[in-house]
Amino acid sequence: MTMSEPIIAIENISKTFTSKERGKGRKRKKKVEALKDVSLEIFDGEVFGLLGPNGAGKTTLIKCLTTLLLPTSGTAWINGFNLQKEENKVRASIGCMLMGERGLYWKLTGRENLDYFGALYYIPKNVRRERIDYLVDLLELSDFVDRTVETYSSGQKMILAFAKSLINDAPILFLDEPTVTMDVHAARNLRSIVRSLNKEGHTIIYTTHLMAEADELCDRVAIIDRGEIIALGPPSELKSSIPQESVVDVEGVIPESARNRIVEIPGIRTAVVKDETNGKTMLGIICDNSRRVLPKIIDVLVEEDAIIEYISPQEVTLEDVFIAKTGRSLSIDTREIVTPKDAGK
Amino acid sequence: MTAKTVHKNLGLSEISWRSSLGVTKTVLIARFKIVLRYKGAIVFDMILPVILAALPILLGVAIAGQAAAQNFEDATGTENYKLYMLIGASTFIVVTLMLWLVGYWIRREMETGTLESVYASPAKRVEVLSGVTLYALIRSLMAFAFAMVVGSFIFQVDLFQGEMALALAFVVIGIIPLWGISFAFGALILKVKEADSLIQVMQWVVAFFMGIFFPITVFPPFLRYVALSFPPTWMTNGVRASLLDVAYFFGTWYLDLAVLLAFAAVLPLVGYTVFLRTERRIKKNEGVGQF
Repeated sequence: MTMSEPIIAIENISKTFTSKERGKGRKRKKKVEALKDVSLEIFDGEVFGLLGPNGAGKTTLIKCLTTLLLPTSGTAWINGFNLQKEENKVRASIGCMLMGERGLYWKLTGRENLDYFGALYYIPKNVRRERIDYLVDLLELSDFVDRTVETYSSGQKMILAFAKSLINDAPILFLDEPTVTMDVHAARNLRSIVRSLNKEGHTIIYTTHLMAEADELCDRVAIIDRGEIIALGPPSELKSSIPQESVVDVEGVIPESARNRIVEIPGIRTAVVKDETNGKTMLGIICDNSRRVLPKIIDVLVEEDAIIEYISPQEVTLEDVFIAKTGRSLSIDTREIVTPKDAGK
Repeated sequence: MTAKTVHKNLGLSEISWRSSLGVTKTVLIARFKIVLRYKGAIVFDMILPVILAALPILLGVAIAGQAAAQNFEDATGTENYKLYMLIGASTFIVVTLMLWLVGYWIRREMETGTLESVYASPAKRVEVLSGVTLYALIRSLMAFAFAMVVGSFIFQVDLFQGEMALALAFVVIGIIPLWGISFAFGALILKVKEADSLIQVMQWVVAFFMGIFFPITVFPPFLRYVALSFPPTWMTNGVRASLLDVAYFFGTWYLDLAVLLAFAAVLPLVGYTVFLRTERRIKKNEGVGQF
């Protein structure tokens, strides 16, 4: 695959939302900078991943690129067309799956939905019919495509929404969290189809919060945080920027006092709660040299009466890259941030 | 302007006048498929004007008894108060379906998420809105015709009197300015993201000013001018004057029709412009998908 020329060029895009903040009997206008001066090139024929926690600006960037939002400043070129001046040609150049299972008419059948959106993409009727038949076969929709969407399961709605994004066979495909609510089998199938589409020459922009998925699919990823791109490159390159021995995962019952003491250990850069379920905590620790600090971490955990179920230096993931760059977890709840003053440097 | 990226194809899209018409046709057909899958929705539209007309007719009989027709003629110029009410109620259903359907369509599409899907497609707004308004036009004319015919049997009034063709001309031309108002109202729904309470209030304001059950001559001068600035008032009075012995506002049919034509020439353009500007302002901030 050659990735020499950009098919999407983003130049200094910023987006500021104005919202009303409601206090006690007062309303104040509040400005939120969702994107800050984002510049980026996405190459023809690549699978490009956009990663980041909720509210990072991924969806705002995608909505700007799909013409659903107007950037406050900056511009972009997509498939040779300017974002603001040739909106309709930009739209004809892309297929989108942006709202998961939403965005379908529940009182129409799957086939009628595909026909409807096919017409909105100016696809001639005979071509539309053939394309729908092709998609029904490709995505194995035949069991339910002639039922009204209201009778579908969440997974079936998602796969139909995916089919909708393929209806115009556009050179560029935007997929925003496409496997959310899909079962494992359906998600695997979708990823396999994404790979096939990419082999056929489609450029794919893929957002996901599943790091393994991004790692598996994407040629390059951009990690977005607070409206800025903080890391950009192939997953392997980003992961190699953190030495293997500098990530340690600890799982068990870990008191907060232990977490607070761990970050005080010399050589620890940050410690972030990656997951917390049923009273158990998964703590991700980024450090300079795990072999040196591991005994000290164990000492602290024992002194603080922690119950350790698992502790090990880990293979670096894209989430670790995010943690190393920001000192925060990618998970939705980022309140559990325990970082010494020099973290993230 | 220099393209800063490679240019590949546009997928399967073939932009032509035929595919533009295809958008309108597909939206129109889809709207009918959807409404027909809600059992009874269209039937209720057709029955409603008959029920609506029955209320003042029965009230008139109850209060004025045999003198109802004479009293009514003194106020309106016609003793045929049953047909007068039926026309008022039937044009009201046309007005109400035309005015609110675009607003309701936008609101429903916002809630289901389909509005963003429509906006992400290359279809032009005018093509999609034409499909929606054509649907509203056909649905409202069906309701009008059905209500008039069924109402004439129930209330035993003769529809075939006066100038039937002229009455139809007032209905058809009167609908065109309603498109403009409906686009502007759709823009308001895009902005405020709420339809139900707004429509509940506006519904009765419209009914009041277009004089569905009474002549607007009973209004004090200020309210009369407000009513006259509203196209449905001219439409309703035009139909009544064509079929009954009610006076045209300007004394002759062609002057009243000319006023409606002027509304028809201006309001759709104004409404569509308001819609596009509102849409652009919304896209500059939160986008059309927020509700």
